[in-house]
Amino acid sequence: MSNVAKPRNPEDDWKIWLVVNPATWLMPIFYALLVLAIAVHAVVFSVGLGWQ
Amino acid sequence: MASLSGLTDQQAKEFHEQFKTTYTAFVGLAALAHLFVIAANPWW
Repeated sequence: MSNVAKPRNPEDDWKIWLVVNPATWLMPIFYALLVLAIAVHAVVFSVGLGWQ
Repeated sequence: MASLSGLTDQQAKEFHEQFKTTYTAFVGLAALAHLFVIAANPWW
């Protein structure tokens, strides 16, 4: 396992799609982003930084 | 040799271009939203 070629990023970033199929995972990625955004907004409002 | 995802190198590169474009637009919109919040109610 140790002689696996290390990627050079960002030029090799595109290779992620050789592992993760966007036809399957693009929407789950978007939903995870939505959950994260809702969580961040919830925290920001809960600490009183939202509009009162 | 098929990839783990089943995409060819060409398809992966093509999709990544669109992914970068969409992600850049998302970051731009988020930055704009943050500027509006800073203008209206800076958090520092």
